[in-house]
Amino acid sequence: MKKSPRIWPALAAPGASWLLTLFGIPFYAVACVAFGTIDPIFRDAVPQWNPLSWNFGQAHDVLTSVLSGPLQGVFLRTITYVIAAMILSFAIGFPVAYFLARHAGKRKLLLLTLVIVPFWVNYLMRMLAWVNLLSSEGLFTRFMGIFDVHYNWLDGSPITVVLGLVYGYVPFLILPMYATLERLDWRLVEAARDLGANSRQAFRLVTIPMAQAGMAAAAILIALPMFGDYYTNDLLSRSPRTEMLGNQIDFYVNNSQQPQRGAVLVLILSALLLVALSWYLRSTSRYAKERVK
Amino acid sequence: MTKLHLMLRRDFLRNLVITTGGLVVAPSLLSACGTSASSTGELVIGTPTNPTKLPSNGEAIADGLTEEKGTLEILNWADYTNPEVIADFEKLFGVTVKTSIYDTEESAIAKLRNGTFKPDLVIGLTDTVLARLSAAKLLQPINKSYIPHFSNLIDGLQNPYYDVDSQFTVANVIYANGIAYRTDRIDGSTFTSGNGYDAMWDAAHKGKLAVLDSYRDTISLAMFQAGLNDVNTSDADVLAAAKENLIRLRDATNPKVDIISYQELPAGNRDIAYTWSGDVLTALGYLPDGTSPETLGFWYPDQTITANDFYCIPKESKAPVLAHKFIDYILDTDVALKNQSYVGYQPALSTITVDNLLANGTIPESLKDSLVTPVKYASGQRLVSLSPDADALWLDVWATFTAG
Repeated sequence: MKKSPRIWPALAAPGASWLLTLFGIPFYAVACVAFGTIDPIFRDAVPQWNPLSWNFGQAHDVLTSVLSGPLQGVFLRTITYVIAAMILSFAIGFPVAYFLARHAGKRKLLLLTLVIVPFWVNYLMRMLAWVNLLSSEGLFTRFMGIFDVHYNWLDGSPITVVLGLVYGYVPFLILPMYATLERLDWRLVEAARDLGANSRQAFRLVTIPMAQAGMAAAAILIALPMFGDYYTNDLLSRSPRTEMLGNQIDFYVNNSQQPQRGAVLVLILSALLLVALSWYLRSTSRYAKERVK
Repeated sequence: MTKLHLMLRRDFLRNLVITTGGLVVAPSLLSACGTSASSTGELVIGTPTNPTKLPSNGEAIADGLTEEKGTLEILNWADYTNPEVIADFEKLFGVTVKTSIYDTEESAIAKLRNGTFKPDLVIGLTDTVLARLSAAKLLQPINKSYIPHFSNLIDGLQNPYYDVDSQFTVANVIYANGIAYRTDRIDGSTFTSGNGYDAMWDAAHKGKLAVLDSYRDTISLAMFQAGLNDVNTSDADVLAAAKENLIRLRDATNPKVDIISYQELPAGNRDIAYTWSGDVLTALGYLPDGTSPETLGFWYPDQTITANDFYCIPKESKAPVLAHKFIDYILDTDVALKNQSYVGYQPALSTITVDNLLANGTIPESLKDSLVTPVKYASGQRLVSLSPDADALWLDVWATFTAG
């Protein structure tokens, strides 16, 4: 019996409903807050549900600030920190995933568990632990003192914030990278070696292209939360010199009387992330087509 | 004991709210300015120069009633009342006290507004939200016949400007803004020779200095340093000058902007911090073992901000008599001292003086200036609510400063 082609869209219905309920509607609510008004008595957001009545005054102000005002620096800094943290995360996480996938042998599961176990501890607790370790009398600071490295890690240093982001998110890179590398057809690498490629060439010309989709997924997976992260900076720096976009959103939503501005920033950030996500979708789609060929 | 939530509260205390002092602003007026009204009522906000009697909201409970039995539900900041004080109260009245926590004043108002949670007593709100509570008719009048210890309050707070005759509120703690510092790293005479505020702009403290993560307080610091004293200004030029001053501070010292100096100063991670006086009293509890309390110092500027919070009883309280009794109980000098030993912040009682706190060893000599006397309280500047337009100007200054 031939099944109706309608069955396939129907199968997508639960997922689509899920997305609509838990993403579409909340996202629309954020837009309604961003383009809504403020309760004159209680100073909380009054969402404007009718798009025809949206007020773009606050959005204009925030966008101006992002393009040429004080928020411009925050945006550029956030992008810089996230890119730096992503590069470092790959530098640390890729070799770990590669080792686990190719050379861990029977100990693979054990080592994978050991990589993941520390991250069962709550993110906040781990960051608070680092605050203690990095304080002037902290163990890490004293340990580095042995090597005559005297650095005030907690004086609002960008390095500390970037390292904090790396520490916080690197396992989320290792896992998808491991999953990708473990499923690679390593016979292709062996074939490349047989055909005269040295190990570097095989890695660059075979392994990396095959792992590209996984790398893109891992990059997206850690970049998205990093862009909205505010507590890493809150705990490890709290200096205006390291202010990130998430901190500004937190301020406007939780501690100011202008929650609309926070909502506008959320929309701008979402637009930025949409660009990154589009790149990911295009690159995975291209990769899939190449594989089919 | 963590004071993080307490400090978060302190942060929020000063993220002030709505309109200009001493004015009555109807929603319709604000609507005409481009906002749509979704609440009813009007805001009545008192200022020191224009004290306000809040609109009535029904009658207070009658005199001479017997307190309710069962449970007293309190809505409070985390760690803001000594558990031993609560246990003593439970024992004395044969009741159970159940405490629910709020972490911002906004969330407390939301809980009171939605009507699903009906606490009998709220502790720690400030005058900045009082106008809203009053407009929404969420509070019941206080019957002072149940609170004989009311007379222990300092004079200025028996009849506060934000609630003339203390119709709906009873003051709790008082505090002032000032500079806390490590006496082993900074000479106290720094603050008394010349403009003491200059110390916050001293590049020698780079990386070891903090300001409050509270835009009203920290922008006011920049104003005080420049000799400007109107901490409720809506003058764009004054705020522009404050902004330049803050940028100068930022460039010179790379300050931390947070509310945890009560931990970081005793831990030795900071030399100096602009903070609330109650924080430095709290900081005593965070000093490492073997560190002298004299390690901490506090400079109380002549020109600064003073503030307080209060107790209030919701209109929907199911145990209003018991709530009154609790307020009276905690206004007793001995009980208040016991509470302070846990909370840190200074009770707003005239019976608790610098001399008796020094005498009983509650505070060290180096911190005696952190205490707010009635005279100091009266002479301090008050942060009052701003109009939305003025608030936007202040937020622009803050955004520029915090954006680095």
